[in-house]
Amino acid sequence: MRVYLGIDIGSVSTNVIAIDENTNVVFARYIRTNGQPINSVKQGLRELSVQALSDGYEVSAVGVTGSGRQMIGLMVGADVVKNEITAHAAATVHFYPDVQTIFEIGGQDSKIIIVKDKIVTDFSMNTVCAAGTGSFLDHQAERLNIPIEQFGDLALTAENTVRIAGRCTVFAESDMIAKQQYGYSKAEIIKGLCDALVRNYLNNLGRGKVLQPPFVFQGGVAANKGIIRAFEEQVGHEIIIPKYFGVMGAIGVALSAKSQVEASGQPTNFKGFDCIELDFVPKSFECSGCSNACEVIKVIINGEVAAMWGDKCGKWSSSV
Amino acid sequence: MKIGIPRALLYYYYYPFFETFFKELGCEVVLSEETNAKIISDGCKVTVSELCVPIKIFNGHVVSLMNKNVDYIFVPRFISIGKEWYCPKFIGLGEIVKYSIDSMKDKMLIVELKNKTDIPDRIEDYMPLAEKLNVTKAQLKNALKKAKISFLKCRKLSLQGYTIPEAYSILKGKEVPPPMQKADLTIGLMGYVNNVYDDFVSMSAVKKLREMGVKVITFDMLDENIIKLDKSKGKQPFWTFARKVYNAANYLINNVEIDGIIHLTAFACGPDSVIGKMMELECGEKDIPFMTIRIDEHTGESHVQTRFEAFTDMLKMRKGAK
Repeated sequence: MRVYLGIDIGSVSTNVIAIDENTNVVFARYIRTNGQPINSVKQGLRELSVQALSDGYEVSAVGVTGSGRQMIGLMVGADVVKNEITAHAAATVHFYPDVQTIFEIGGQDSKIIIVKDKIVTDFSMNTVCAAGTGSFLDHQAERLNIPIEQFGDLALTAENTVRIAGRCTVFAESDMIAKQQYGYSKAEIIKGLCDALVRNYLNNLGRGKVLQPPFVFQGGVAANKGIIRAFEEQVGHEIIIPKYFGVMGAIGVALSAKSQVEASGQPTNFKGFDCIELDFVPKSFECSGCSNACEVIKVIINGEVAAMWGDKCGKWSSSV
Repeated sequence: MKIGIPRALLYYYYYPFFETFFKELGCEVVLSEETNAKIISDGCKVTVSELCVPIKIFNGHVVSLMNKNVDYIFVPRFISIGKEWYCPKFIGLGEIVKYSIDSMKDKMLIVELKNKTDIPDRIEDYMPLAEKLNVTKAQLKNALKKAKISFLKCRKLSLQGYTIPEAYSILKGKEVPPPMQKADLTIGLMGYVNNVYDDFVSMSAVKKLREMGVKVITFDMLDENIIKLDKSKGKQPFWTFARKVYNAANYLINNVEIDGIIHLTAFACGPDSVIGKMMELECGEKDIPFMTIRIDEHTGESHVQTRFEAFTDMLKMRKGAK
């Protein structure tokens, strides 16, 4: 059976998925990146290779997205390397052709994508602040000593609402401490945080945009029921959570890779599952050639320099 | 006499003018090197943190010139064109430099420019230089005449679609490939010359977009007559270059087949907080995609790359659907 792989390497999670000829998802893994994107991808591919062997998969295309896309693209031999916005939208439009607004909240990125007739017409991404992203929640959950997995359910048990300043994690934290001292329960404070995150997100990213239903909410944070409810309250409409909400970027880029390979008729560049065994080492160094002091990234495969980038002048990148 | 010119701010618009001017007066012109990490970090070190990145970069270039053994560093004070004003930071540039870098007091060569037009050639403005440079009024007049010719030569190249750095290279006799005529996409890259053309600050925005098959149009590629102060268009932005950028965006939106507008702006820019929103609203009315790229001294290149990619992907998809 032909399958098409999608890999999304994000700051917090690395997602590896496979779809079949009829775009059914046959494999999906959500792996914490833990600062080690290469190991995470290898782990995902290793699990997939076991299933591929037993179910007789033949990999026909590979797409890579996320902040680590360039490096991992090189490692696996990607057919398509796409940015996260295009990838996310491609997946959502595939499952919900009439979608008009996509909310995507990941670990350190958050975006709003506006879609009309299956075409992205506008988008915005968070700029200098992480207050509307998963990292904000992670941090506060840790502070309250509540596992992030229980965070959302706890928010739903709150009887009262409490307003927490969500402009910035630093202020949110001092506000939370004050509210705890006033006697609000943990559940109420968590609900307040969920409301603050969504308020912040909609203010920062949705500013000046007309948000129309159907609304689809995806990204790792879509697992959080408290956030979903805050969204529904603030946009005043039902929110759709896709079945594969956590790996939509990977699905989107697998779809792109599939159509690219089908359109070109060329065989895939996929290096095969053997690439897991490659000794793949990225190294970075500060170039001392001029005052720019560029951070140059060097990728070494089996002891040989395979690629270099990050230099402004091209001295290193063109040397390979 | 050696005159240092910082490669910052309006260097990216008036350099041919001032280079010719000083050379005609028998001075040697020393230009600071292209903006690099050290210049930015030096600039940030000496400047109060509230100021915008372009000003910090200007100070960084001044610091770099101080090590180049020059007699004076040229710090023009651009005040007005007719009844129109420059950004307050241009007007106060002399003071900003003086109070940021202690040893600069006696090294600065300041002229106060109150031009009638886009060409800063009013002889009265330059008279204070006569004594310092030991030249006569007639010599100054002659130098300004030659300076104007150089400036207009450069403007002509801009109007043909060359970027300003390309135009400077051509003026120096270098070969430059002709401007892109046909392209998959045409995008108006709206921003001040010192942001758009400083490759370190803009992360080579023009180059990145061209590599994605985009024809880039900037305000300086449009005739001043098209983007001049025009009160019949309603209330105009208060500041010279803000007006140029805003009117250029307006012209592109209404008269040129463009696929989108990108506003490249520096963090903490006052004028841009006004015209950025105005451009966004104008684009919204005409259903032209608009994106803001905000840069500061900490901006990561991968974020800029992702946004450019997503924006051009979106424009291509929209075009394909039409």
